[in-house]
Amino acid sequence: MSRELPAEDPLVRMQRDLKRALKKKPKEIQWGMVIDIAKCIGCHACTIGCVAENKLPPGVVYRVVLEEETGHYPQVRRRFVPRPCLHCQNPPCVKACPVTATWKTEQGVVIVDYNRCIGCRYCLVACPYSARTSDFAEWYTEGTPDLAGKLVGRKAAANGYEAHPAAEYGKKWPDRDHDSPVGNARKCHFCLHRLKVGMLPACTTTCIGRATIFGDRSDPQSLVSEMIGSPRVFRLKEELGTLPAVYYLK
Amino acid sequence: MSKKKLKGLEELQEMFDVNMDRRYFLKCSAFLGGSLLATHYLGRFAQAAAGADWSTLDLPIGDAYTHYLPENQIYSVCQQCNTQCGIKMKFVDGLLAKIDGNPYSPWTLTPHIPYKTPIAEAATIEGAICPKGQAGIQALYDPYRIVKVLKRAGKRGENKWQTIPFDQAISEIVNGGNLFGEGQVEGLKDICTLKDPKIAKELAEDSAKVADKKMDLAAFKEKHKDHLKYLIDPDHPDLGPKNNQFVFNSGRLKAGRDDLLKRFIGGALGTENKHGHTTVCQGSLYFTCKAMSYQFEEGDWGGSKKFYWQADTGNCEFILFVGANLYEANYGPPLRNVKLTQGIVDNGMKIAVVDPRCSKGAARAWKWLPVRPNGVAAVGLGMMRWIIDNQRYDARYLANANKAAAKADGEPTWTQAAWLVKINPDGSTGAYLRGSDLGMPKEKRPKKKGDGDWEFDPFLVFSGGAPKPFDPNSEKDAVEGDLLVDTEIKGIKVKSVLQILKETVGARQLSQWAKLADISEADLTDLAREFTSHGKRAVADIHRGVSQHTSGFYNVLTYMTLNTLIGNHDWQGGLSSAHTWNITGDKEGKPFNLTKQSGKIKPFGISIIRHGKKYDKSTIFQGFPAQRPWYPFSSDIYQEVIPSIGDAYPYPIKAYFLYMGSPVYALPAGHKLIEILSDTKKVPLFFASDIVIGETTMYADYIFPDLTYLERWEFAGSHPSVTPKVAPFRQPAATPLTDTVTVYGEKMPLSLESLILGIAEKMKLPGFGENAFGPGLHLKRDEDLYLRMVANIAFGDKPDGSEKVAAAGPEEIKIFESARRHLPATVYDLKRWQALMGPEWWPRVVYVMNRGGRFQEYQKAYKDGQLANKYGKMVGIYMEKWAATKNSMTGKPYPAHAHFMESPTDVLGRKLDDEAKGFDLTLLTHRHISQCKSRTVGNYWLLALYPENFIDLSPVDARRLGFNDGDQAKVISPTNEAGVWDFGHGHKKPMIGKVRIVEGLRPGVTAFSLGHGHWAYGAGDVVIDGVKVPGDPRRATGVHANAAMRVDPVLKNTGLVDLTGGSAVFYQTQVKLVKV
Repeated sequence: MSRELPAEDPLVRMQRDLKRALKKKPKEIQWGMVIDIAKCIGCHACTIGCVAENKLPPGVVYRVVLEEETGHYPQVRRRFVPRPCLHCQNPPCVKACPVTATWKTEQGVVIVDYNRCIGCRYCLVACPYSARTSDFAEWYTEGTPDLAGKLVGRKAAANGYEAHPAAEYGKKWPDRDHDSPVGNARKCHFCLHRLKVGMLPACTTTCIGRATIFGDRSDPQSLVSEMIGSPRVFRLKEELGTLPAVYYLK
Repeated sequence: MSKKKLKGLEELQEMFDVNMDRRYFLKCSAFLGGSLLATHYLGRFAQAAAGADWSTLDLPIGDAYTHYLPENQIYSVCQQCNTQCGIKMKFVDGLLAKIDGNPYSPWTLTPHIPYKTPIAEAATIEGAICPKGQAGIQALYDPYRIVKVLKRAGKRGENKWQTIPFDQAISEIVNGGNLFGEGQVEGLKDICTLKDPKIAKELAEDSAKVADKKMDLAAFKEKHKDHLKYLIDPDHPDLGPKNNQFVFNSGRLKAGRDDLLKRFIGGALGTENKHGHTTVCQGSLYFTCKAMSYQFEEGDWGGSKKFYWQADTGNCEFILFVGANLYEANYGPPLRNVKLTQGIVDNGMKIAVVDPRCSKGAARAWKWLPVRPNGVAAVGLGMMRWIIDNQRYDARYLANANKAAAKADGEPTWTQAAWLVKINPDGSTGAYLRGSDLGMPKEKRPKKKGDGDWEFDPFLVFSGGAPKPFDPNSEKDAVEGDLLVDTEIKGIKVKSVLQILKETVGARQLSQWAKLADISEADLTDLAREFTSHGKRAVADIHRGVSQHTSGFYNVLTYMTLNTLIGNHDWQGGLSSAHTWNITGDKEGKPFNLTKQSGKIKPFGISIIRHGKKYDKSTIFQGFPAQRPWYPFSSDIYQEVIPSIGDAYPYPIKAYFLYMGSPVYALPAGHKLIEILSDTKKVPLFFASDIVIGETTMYADYIFPDLTYLERWEFAGSHPSVTPKVAPFRQPAATPLTDTVTVYGEKMPLSLESLILGIAEKMKLPGFGENAFGPGLHLKRDEDLYLRMVANIAFGDKPDGSEKVAAAGPEEIKIFESARRHLPATVYDLKRWQALMGPEWWPRVVYVMNRGGRFQEYQKAYKDGQLANKYGKMVGIYMEKWAATKNSMTGKPYPAHAHFMESPTDVLGRKLDDEAKGFDLTLLTHRHISQCKSRTVGNYWLLALYPENFIDLSPVDARRLGFNDGDQAKVISPTNEAGVWDFGHGHKKPMIGKVRIVEGLRPGVTAFSLGHGHWAYGAGDVVIDGVKVPGDPRRATGVHANAAMRVDPVLKNTGLVDLTGGSAVFYQTQVKLVKV
């Protein structure tokens, strides 16, 4: 084992990779992600980081972490598998949309145009990875007391963390009421609003096991390309031919 | 291998309410049935279908995202658990919008970014923090947070409240009166009556003489006849002044606030009773390492510090984790996980985990050893036997008897392995052999302080066939000794410390140690071999699972002795300890000495928890056993505070002040405290500082709302595995949500600070208000203390000022000001702050605040294969002081070294055997990463992740007991046969939870995670000003089985305890699960 001290945190390396990518012509970038199962310790920081970044309401989740216990006592192992949208290069969800509200961008990110989406949920069914959820206008603070002046109360709490939608797709959405994204199909978008300003997706920066690697797949120097080249690499349900841009390491 | 789904995809989706369950189905039907919403959607469907432009699919990313701008960010420190990770708080329209990791902090990146990185550049870099940290926003904006002072409007614990003005509350607490229509209550002004520091000093000195039998009681009474009125009991002056009848108790408390409280509770109100909560966490870990840190100082053992060691995680080659819940807790996930995952996957690091439960860490380890809980020390002792038998210890290190010898070997520390110990006629071990025992002369040496001489009586090793005297601290005369010595010198039987250990572990065969631990002998040998195959780069890293036993102290000492056998302290990849920059300024050259307090009283007397004192050396000694245990070697004994108040031992109290703690919820057998807290005779006045009405503060007379950690100051300190020197702190960041009050003419939010300052102003306490720290240095509001602490950090620790941080340039100062544009003058005022700091300090203070503290660079924390920030002293493994001190309950001396202590025992040392009575499962607790102990249940994002906890069972036990996955079970124990929490006033909550069957659990053990099963903290109904505030059922889910934990049969109102290290015992209760 090396006696050298670590020179750079992978997050800082990926940040450098990202800056380099953003200097390229947009259509030359191919965003991708690698999730190292051997490093995922099931902390769910990515799940909550994503919920917090995108202010997701109850019922909407972009990135879950599946937990599994294998073996019999005392030969027991536990495995954790984060599952964001896999951003298929051949995405079944896109074909299911009756109103072309969802498509794959030239940078390989499958997105939803909330202003086009009619909330039919066909795409939820079409996704073989169950990566899409629907916004049913729920509130976390629903049912909590509103004794303003004596307690912080429901209104102030809701105002604090769920009345004002996050700037998904870099857009200012109206306060949560009847308008989009309420009623829409919602999914992971690789935090495009963050990428635009040179920041990694929230799930990546919050990964306390450094199991999530993000970057430009078309840049051979990037950490994500390095990881895709690992002999441990595989993709979920490869037999479906969906060609996910999210890879896993065994 | 068979495969058992713990949580399948479906279940996980359900977890986030994704499924179309009945509730959603109804809702969706409503949408389509013509409601306003449905019309809206359908309308849009038609519109989209008719007018969609199918040719251009473009969604330009807009500019609405503003988190990345430095002027929208403030750095602070998380407190969702005690890991205290550095955080970056991002604001949108004055509201806290997101919390991420502070990239300057070694907690969130390895290595963290250089300290000199401009904050504009750091604005887009984030470190990683855990899910709790990110959900902290929901602790801030918790609908159940209180914003006004509450006074009880019913009986204690009835949860009926009225809001009252702050000034009224302060007056009532200070002045007392018939406050609740239940009779007179004494206020603080009548309790804390001794105010004259000179009288206090004289009483303290002479009462100590009376206890030491150096002064006659009658003589004392005569000498102090005018001042006996200040004492609790003039016949027992060593109990101290009546001021001691005011008791302060804290849960989570860090520096800054702690310094303010020391000034207030001790220095101004003069009570000895300021107690923290260490023993509910990992008390015996702290107090064993404290015991090991005693140095030989001017003829006595001193200079010890309360601390502990952990592995320099990222640089180890092998770590043996024992009773440590790595990846989910263990100080802490963001800080240590990355070092472990990268180490294991990329760098060939090996870890082994000793734990009855297959934790997430164990699930990835080289070996998981599901130890028998009561046999946890046997693994370490068995390893020790193999290591000594095979001479796999670091003999070169162990032979060094003093500092000079260590220095010659390039070792930062040294130990006592070669020191000679006198053996008593009965074979037990006694004090160290000294020169005077062999007729050598003592040497007179001048005291450091210049106040006289002390006599040096040398210690001895055996070397070259003869005893050899030495000074442990000598830097010149290097002395080494033989390691295994068993001989007689001048008729005195002596053994070396390593010899004593060899015989201790030699008392059992390897197979017997393995059997005691219930692991295989082969595994035990493997562990010992691996541990001694990496030089200094192996560590036994331990935590609560080792310390929270009745034998906790000796369990910890076993593993820490194991580390000492390879001498890994202060080596890269070995054991490390925490290092911080001084904030109080009581050092040469510092800008502000904040310990100055004119008129300060030095508290004295026996504390309510009887810590740091010997029972048989007190005037209330009445033979063994004592009424309740005394704790000569530990402090902050959380589980002892309220029960001692209940028993009025050693004296009754008059007022109790609880800060940010929930002993009822957090302590084993916490239910026994409810009866005491409800009794206004035993606790005549109870006031508390809390953010929500909690499981313990619901019994208070007054609750003062506090600010959350996201709105206020506090200096977070460090943790042992953080190798760089640091000084992180919280600062005002989120807009305070509590009411504004006026104290000393200053407007400020309701908080702990305003509570303290309010009482100080009302009582005109010394060291507060005008000239509190000296002429012209006032203490009228929070920043008067805290900003000055930041200046002390900015200065550094070098007296010549050469360690000062850079001054922030105009751009950074502009960002600083802009980032605080949403803050009201009650917590931040630029002109006021600048005036307080002056032009010299202001830009440097800004530089530090802009980075959320001060952090040494990672590379600078290491030098030549060692840690740059060293412990650098003697590591004790044989405590002769222990052998000379009598246990207050048994009257026997405390053992001086690592050994196997049968457990669990009651306080009289009698082994408990509840298993024989049919209580067939050992109850364990653990932490799930999404919850801290008592105060994260209001974070709804976290609840969505893990809505309720479970009662875990192994398949073997489930089959045996007839449980299926998902069955309801009630936890009952010998001391809670009904299996309920009784809150008084007819309210009860049974300890019923859902059974989850897992392979990763030792048969015979059952476990639940902490944080669920609430009945207060927003989970139960309360009444405020006559209006019912209903509890939220989401906060009441799951089970909290602490009330099943074993009550000590002698004490009857306290859980089991470790009499040496002070720990509250969490892992040694036998329970039964009953089908519901």
